[in-house]
Amino acid sequence: MTWKYKRIIIEAVVIFCLGVVVGLSVNHRMVIDAFAGKVASKAAPPADSASVAQYPVPTFLEEVLAEREEGALLVDARVGELYREGHIAGAVSLPLADYETQLEQFKQDIDPDRTLILYCSGYGCPDSFDLGQVLLEEGFRDVRVYEGGMPEWRDQGLPVEKGAP
Amino acid sequence: MNRLVSIVLHGARIALGVTFFYAGWIKAQEPIDFARAVANYQVLPYSWNYLVAATLPYVELLAGTLLVLNRRVRPAALVIGVLNFVFILALISVMARGLDIDCGCFAPSGQGHTTALEALLRDLGLMVLVVLAWLSRERRSVASSS
Repeated sequence: MTWKYKRIIIEAVVIFCLGVVVGLSVNHRMVIDAFAGKVASKAAPPADSASVAQYPVPTFLEEVLAEREEGALLVDARVGELYREGHIAGAVSLPLADYETQLEQFKQDIDPDRTLILYCSGYGCPDSFDLGQVLLEEGFRDVRVYEGGMPEWRDQGLPVEKGAP
Repeated sequence: MNRLVSIVLHGARIALGVTFFYAGWIKAQEPIDFARAVANYQVLPYSWNYLVAATLPYVELLAGTLLVLNRRVRPAALVIGVLNFVFILALISVMARGLDIDCGCFAPSGQGHTTALEALLRDLGLMVLVVLAWLSRERRSVASSS
């Protein structure tokens, strides 16, 4: 390889590294939190780590099934219409779009120490995550987001119910 | 004719630079939303999504800026070409696994849904711009040396 091309590659690596350094210096807090959060959620029970975490803990199908057996409450963050068309069996409806009107009732009905597993329309749907942040701010201590959501649940042939919230 | 080719090549360089500058800028505003968009690909371990979200927008910003300013064009085009190649691989893997996600390429908080296929086609188009941007420097160096 000629020097000309070596130089191009070296300069490209420098550009890349410069971008990484600038990005890390701007966002170092977020990255440190993310890596610390991961270690903490593995080392401590989720109920303890969630009380200090600002963000709901992401969770996956196997964990959802296990937690559901142990009494976790599934919360559907989609709009009421989608909930009526079909939701995870046993899930309650708390649409992100209407949470302001329904939150007080929800807080009265649900123990703040209960494990809540939020879901919406799967990967790429932000509602469950956003609702999770609201619920953490409102004092719920163990809030998780089931990222696969309704599409994954349905595709696995797991129980689905229809009906009004 | 030569002039026309030159306009096309430099137009491609500027278009590519502006595209990546914009993509980097908009994602740099919302790093947490972007981390979630990266997490949707289900390729990286959880915390690594945040590392990518923290750094990738700034690499895009820097490389895009250099292209627009016509400085270090080939190294910048190489960086963007490699990034674009990685994006294409990620999108192919998303399609192969049948995930229905938003690509998170520009606005990470999901204003407007871009499917993996649309994003893949767009990235292939950007790859053409990468080649044209690379050639824009070749022509200039040939012209100046002759």
